Amino acid sequence: MAETSGTQAPPAPRRRVDAGSVATHAVLSLGALVMVFPFLWQLLTALKTLAETSRVPPTFLPDRWNWSSFEEVFTALPFREMLTNSAINTVGRTLGQLVFCSLAAYAFARMRFRGRDVLFALFLSVLMVPSSLLVLPQYDIIQRLGLLNSTPALFLPGMFSAFGTFMLRQFFLALPKELEEAARIDGAGSFRIFRSVMLPLIRPALAALAVITAMWSWNDLLWPLVVNTDPREMPISAGLTSLEGQYETNYPVMMAGSLIASLPMLLVYVFLQRHFVQSVALSGSKS
Amino acid sequence: MRRRTLLGGALAAPLLAACSGGGGGSEGGGRTTLSYGMWDPAQAPGMEKIIAAFEKEHPRISVRIELTPWASYWTTLKTSMRGGTAPDVFWMNAVNFQLYASSGVLEPLSGHIKADATPVDRHPEALVRLYAYRGTQYGLPKDFDTVGLWYNKALFDKAGIAYPDASWTWDDVRDAAAELTNPRERVHGFAAEMDRQGKIYPAVCGAGGYILRDGRSGFGDERSIEGLRFLTDMVDRGWSPPQSAMTESVGRVRYWSEKVAMNYDLSAMAGQMYAVPALKDHGGIAVLPKGRRRATIIHGLANVISAKSRKKEAAWEFVHFMAGRRAAGIQAEAGVTISSYEGTQDAWLKSMPEFDLKNFIDMQEYAVPYPSSENTAVWENLQYPLLGAAFSGKGGVESAARTLGEQMDRALKEESGS
Amino acid sequence: MSVFPATAAAKAKGRGTTAAGSRPRPRKNQRAAYLFIAPLGIGFAVFYFWPLLQTFAFSFTEFGAFGGHTFIGGDNYARVIKDVTVWQALGNTLIYSAIGLTALPIAIVVASLLNRRGLRGVALYRALYFVPFVTLPVAVGLVWNWLYNGDYGLLNEVLGRLGVDRNHWVSDPSTAVYAIGAVMVWSTTGYYLIIFMAGIKGIPRDYHEAAELDGAGALRRFFTITLPLLSPTLFFASIICMINSLQTFDLIYIMMAEKNPAIGDTQSIVGLFYKWAFIENAQGAAAALAFLLMLLIAALTFLQFRLQKRWVHYG
Repeated sequence: MAETSGTQAPPAPRRRVDAGSVATHAVLSLGALVMVFPFLWQLLTALKTLAETSRVPPTFLPDRWNWSSFEEVFTALPFREMLTNSAINTVGRTLGQLVFCSLAAYAFARMRFRGRDVLFALFLSVLMVPSSLLVLPQYDIIQRLGLLNSTPALFLPGMFSAFGTFMLRQFFLALPKELEEAARIDGAGSFRIFRSVMLPLIRPALAALAVITAMWSWNDLLWPLVVNTDPREMPISAGLTSLEGQYETNYPVMMAGSLIASLPMLLVYVFLQRHFVQSVALSGSKS
Repeated sequence: MRRRTLLGGALAAPLLAACSGGGGGSEGGGRTTLSYGMWDPAQAPGMEKIIAAFEKEHPRISVRIELTPWASYWTTLKTSMRGGTAPDVFWMNAVNFQLYASSGVLEPLSGHIKADATPVDRHPEALVRLYAYRGTQYGLPKDFDTVGLWYNKALFDKAGIAYPDASWTWDDVRDAAAELTNPRERVHGFAAEMDRQGKIYPAVCGAGGYILRDGRSGFGDERSIEGLRFLTDMVDRGWSPPQSAMTESVGRVRYWSEKVAMNYDLSAMAGQMYAVPALKDHGGIAVLPKGRRRATIIHGLANVISAKSRKKEAAWEFVHFMAGRRAAGIQAEAGVTISSYEGTQDAWLKSMPEFDLKNFIDMQEYAVPYPSSENTAVWENLQYPLLGAAFSGKGGVESAARTLGEQMDRALKEESGS
Repeated sequence: MSVFPATAAAKAKGRGTTAAGSRPRPRKNQRAAYLFIAPLGIGFAVFYFWPLLQTFAFSFTEFGAFGGHTFIGGDNYARVIKDVTVWQALGNTLIYSAIGLTALPIAIVVASLLNRRGLRGVALYRALYFVPFVTLPVAVGLVWNWLYNGDYGLLNEVLGRLGVDRNHWVSDPSTAVYAIGAVMVWSTTGYYLIIFMAGIKGIPRDYHEAAELDGAGALRRFFTITLPLLSPTLFFASIICMINSLQTFDLIYIMMAEKNPAIGDTQSIVGLFYKWAFIENAQGAAAALAFLLMLLIAALTFLQFRLQKRWVHYG
């Protein structure tokens, strides 16, 4: 991870250590500590024994470093199937949102047509209802499609997002108009302007949407639990909750499982964050 | 061999659907797979063993466990009932039973029980009655739970007090709690936690009060209030941590961390307590001390069949097997819960020889069944918000209990009206 | 209805130097626009609008726990309005929203710090600020409850040295709502950070360089370039933040035990909705509650759209 920082900003002149950057580092590392602390706690809990996780006064470091929970995860759950389900679910939702939302967002931001404002308001209304309100009727639809206990059931409704549409619309709105005009004079059609001129310009936003959608999909809980009751069709987020008992929860195994399950997401982020790093070069896209 | 023919009928439908035009009588593919819904991962190994025994006896039926976490079990179950994906057989508790039975989503079992002579009378009667609705039996108990007094022998020795026994009354508890409380070491004598099954209901019944009788709330009753005061007094006098502290570190955890000397808790906790070395060494169990009368709360789970199941005959075979002696014996050996089948508890007792588990079974005699109505959750949800302040040492238990009684009566009226 | 939100955006845009993007276009363009929207529109119709309509109809009925309903008119809505716990939950929800909004300035400041050129280890920081995303919500609840624990928590230890009295932060009715609000800010900051980082990167570097040549300092550039050009993103984030905090539920559910004496003082509208719909079998009333919340959110969103022309700058 550290390597990318060296290459990310070549034009920046190397400065000496100044007070400003010391202060910046102080603020940022304090913030980082606050951000990372619960994750560390998760790791430490995974290394404790079950008995040690519920004790007063609570312990911070494990009495004895116990790695067995990491092995136990694989026997307690069909871990590999669940990871596969999670991956399919995440890819399905993320691709769906990137395609459907960017198309609609572009139209809402840069095109004129009758009923645009009403339609946009209607689309936004999807954001305003608590998602658990729609769980039952959505379940009925999935059932009528004959998709209960199947992988498509996991990602189908999540491919369509008002959040993503609204977000990308804002980014499209912020772009200067000259580029679009130039392309139009060159005789390019709407889809070509969208695809080869405008879409590349909001790459940071697309990457951000991809990261956020991927995280949401990976961690989604209620929907998969309701729609796929068969453990082999569950994603890992839902699978981990089966370690919750009525009186006692196997926290160490649960935390270990979630740590393993979060590694792919960290990789996705490290991969995608490069797109945040590179600024959009306006001059480059003109040619 | 009536059982065989019943089973044959059950198998016919899926068979016909699976191989259209098959010659019939073919061996392969003739298996019925039942889904069995439950929530407790701790009991899964024991259930797997029972299933293995069942499958050996019924080679054409196989059973697959569907484990849903407790936190989402009822939500998921209700949803899957709509879509027809509910498990064929599943666990039921007293809180939810009447709601399901009154909505007609459970298969009536009375006819089957009679036909197959299921040994219902070998299970505690109070428990069997919990799963009957308007004279029809819908569920068969598999296990039960009572509440007992857990105490820490080491802390008792240190304070120089004799251990609790069957002769103890509430006065003895109060005296001991005072002696055992040691603020310097943050040790409390008792955990008077706001917990309905473990503390509130047993105390109310022990004082001669009641929770629910003939469709009316008992919380406004003077005796019931006396029971509640037994608990809140402990907090007021500093012999128990207040509820505000016990939501952050619960009484059970304080007990096994040796910060609380006496705690009312379920028999179901025995396995967990046994896993704590200190308690295995010096944890003790006694019957609940006597207030105005002897009382504890008994609750147990039952197996029920979904009315929407398409494999009802096979499902009944399984439920029937689960209510029998063999299944109960295997369950008891697993050591997680007390099997409800009379005389099979020995295996459970022997699984933790250091504990006086027999007390939990002896208390059956005067155990009060867990109170429930058609929409139990509604009035149960009124309790904690209303009683929270009184259990946090802020007083006012009498008026809180009366308000609770009134609100509960209103909820009960609404329930029977709809 | 013609002056609905997006028109304000269009108008703001129309005031720019060239209005080319929004100049009336021939029919062909109109058809293309509908084609752009169609895939999402179809998905929404099936998975959101139809269920929404159904649920709206259900809000005038009494649900059986397992299906089946009887029409009861506006009784559910009357019940919602008469219920005191609803008003208490509304108050709590508004407090959460006010606290939740503080995540935005924090995220902007951190995002612009992370954008400082030549800052060493910037990629590492970015990764670390992302970590809350991959932390199990249960772990988040556990660790904060441990920090807040009145008897054994770290917070009391630290504050005790500063002379502050011990407190049971999450079970004291007067502090619980703020204690949860703080965790809410913690858990959402990273998420707005990602949005703002993308927004800041969308600002052409040339602008900053030109301003730097004019001798503008970092602080000045932040207020004259970064903030105005980030305003469309900020507008989006503020609406999302408002909607999300008005729908707060998960965190409260994880952190507040059922027996917590402060439960009534922390319950949110969606929490109440969840309780009615999934525990107490009152789906009809729950649906009515959700629609009233939706109405409130819609009104506040509309207001924000109306106000945006005062501060949001589109390209």
